[in-house]
Amino acid sequence: MKNLFLISLGFLLLFSCTKEEEEYVKIPTNINLKIPSNFPDIVYDLSKNPLTEEGVALGKKLFYEGRLASDGIISCGFCHEQASAFTHHGHTTSHGVDGKTGFRNAQPIQNLAFFSEFTWDGAAIHLDLQPIIPITSDFEMNETIPSVISKLSSYKEYDILFSNAFGDAEVTSERLLKALSQFMVTMISGDSKYDKVVRKEENEAFTVKEEKGFQIFNNTCASCHSGALFTDKSYRNNGIPVNPRFPEEEGRKRVSGFAEDFYKFRVPSLRNTEMSFPYMHDGRFGTLEDVLNFYTDGMVENGSEVDPILRKANGNLGIDLTQEDKENVIAFLKTLTDNTFLNDERFAEF
Amino acid sequence: MKILKYLTAAILAVTIYSCSSNETEILDGEGALTLKFDNAYKTSDLLLKTTPYKANETEQIKISKVKYIVSNVRLETADGTVFTYPKNQSYFIVNEEVISSQFITLNNIPEEDYTKLTFGIGVDQDKYLEGATGQGDFLSLAKDAGMMWSWQAGYKFMVFEGVYTSANTAEETAFAFHMGSHGSALDNYKEVSLDFTNSARVRVDATPEIHIVADVANILQGNTKFMLDDAAQIHVDGVKSPQIATNVNQMFTVDHVHN
Ligand code: HEC
Ligand code: HEC
Repeated sequence: MKNLFLISLGFLLLFSCTKEEEEYVKIPTNINLKIPSNFPDIVYDLSKNPLTEEGVALGKKLFYEGRLASDGIISCGFCHEQASAFTHHGHTTSHGVDGKTGFRNAQPIQNLAFFSEFTWDGAAIHLDLQPIIPITSDFEMNETIPSVISKLSSYKEYDILFSNAFGDAEVTSERLLKALSQFMVTMISGDSKYDKVVRKEENEAFTVKEEKGFQIFNNTCASCHSGALFTDKSYRNNGIPVNPRFPEEEGRKRVSGFAEDFYKFRVPSLRNTEMSFPYMHDGRFGTLEDVLNFYTDGMVENGSEVDPILRKANGNLGIDLTQEDKENVIAFLKTLTDNTFLNDERFAEF
Repeated sequence: MKILKYLTAAILAVTIYSCSSNETEILDGEGALTLKFDNAYKTSDLLLKTTPYKANETEQIKISKVKYIVSNVRLETADGTVFTYPKNQSYFIVNEEVISSQFITLNNIPEEDYTKLTFGIGVDQDKYLEGATGQGDFLSLAKDAGMMWSWQAGYKFMVFEGVYTSANTAEETAFAFHMGSHGSALDNYKEVSLDFTNSARVRVDATPEIHIVADVANILQGNTKFMLDDAAQIHVDGVKSPQIATNVNQMFTVDHVHN
């Protein structure tokens, strides 16, 4: 007992000594990520980039920083808007600097800590490295990493933000990317009506329509849109017709280089799908009704093998759903809307 | 007079010999070593832009860009001791247009007589999957040097560009081969091992230079033969990109080691 006391006293003395001698450096405050109980483990490696309040704050500032783009206007948040589940509201394919458009529909920024591959075709295989695509692509932010670094270094406000997060004011690509990741890692959507029902919270229950829709969904959609994230993360061809406006689009083939991957896309998560319209890799469908009409009547052979799951016993493509089935499925899909997430001030621009 | 000369030479030789064989050197210091990457076209020095080369029986090329990433350098002695250069400092871009990039100086190498060199072409998936931590400043360097794709977050391991003409293609037409890994679908990182004819003696006060010749003719005419008339642009191709990677890997030889 006495020993313990002496030891602690020793520590106290030591501690007070160092404190007096050393220059005051703000120690970032660690945060624990809260993972919904019905979710899998995260795959993002936090040991290489521990989450801190200061790191996340810097990440948020950068996410909404128009000066990351060559025109000083187009921020990440310009194409990834919170109210639309961080997608580009009202745009089939997103447009960036100088009004130049790409050929892809902006994806929601949500639950990315649970993924190891990104974009519609898997063009990035680490979350940290994904943002270099929009920053440097000429139809998105049209910048270069060195120029972004020198711009940020010249703004006083970033001195403090970088110092708080990383110990000193130096702006490096590593820190920039880590901060963006920290912010995005915290963006977890897992508080929809569906989540509350499956977690048996707040006596939340499905309506009859939602319950019927849930059954149909499990039988016909969940083989691809599976699990708590509503995607099995694989690349699949769902028989979507080739879009003649974008002849450069090849789907997963663009990344893999394999002919059989033509027009395969990463199965999208359906969380917040009510808000993330328009739909599909090129945003061709404006409503969920359009999507379900596509699944019943719109599938075609499109240049590589359509996923066998979508072939009926008679060999035709499509999923059989009645009008009522469709309405029920849509009612169910709307239970995936997470208003807590869509209104969470931690992620809001203002 | 002549005899005296020979005699002195002989005595000198004997003394030098006995000196070096009697005292075993104690090798516990560190020195440096330079890798010189000398791009060639067959037996000639490579000249960019101005010089036509025969790519195969029917096609001529003029080359405008040759760039590749050299990584994960390891040195080995005759008895099999391996020295691995620190991984986070072991990524370099060799660019035919930038002379300084063709000399890679490695510091803090333990004093030894090295007989073998191993390096990778490109960036291994392990490093890539460390995210921002693993890339450090190499990301900006590679981006600046045009060694990253703009539409995907990945490195180009090798860039080979120029124009060609052939019996069927009278007008000078651009060709470009870019090779790298394909996301999670295909890992194109490969390593090259080269033995030296004489050992590289790294000492505190002696920096050997390993003169490596890269015969870029091998890119089109290696293990796999590529006809530019069949495909003049190969960027991400599940079948051809690994073949290009193999051709690139086999283009290196150690010409000699300067001690
Ligand atoms: C001009 C519009 C635009 C801007 C600006 C933009 N993005 Fe995107 N974002 C997109 C589009 C379009 C996609 C889909 C890309 C694809 O599939 O090729 C996307 C995809 C993503 C993804 C992948 C999501 C997933 O589920 O795989 C992430 C992460 C992302 N963006 C983050 C960012 C960050 C961070 C920034 C700012 C540095 C940013 N974006 C700026 C349009 C934009
Ligand atoms: C064979 C796998 C598969 C099955 C089964 C499947 N989907 Fe999909 N789904 C996909 C793929 C792949 C995409 C993306 C295609 C694209 O972007 O071109 C997609 C896209 C969607 C989208 C658009 C999401 C967005 O954010 O753009 C919705 C909504 C959707 N599916 C709902 C459903 C419903 C409802 C069912 C069941 C009736 C279903 N899917 C069955 C693979 C599947």
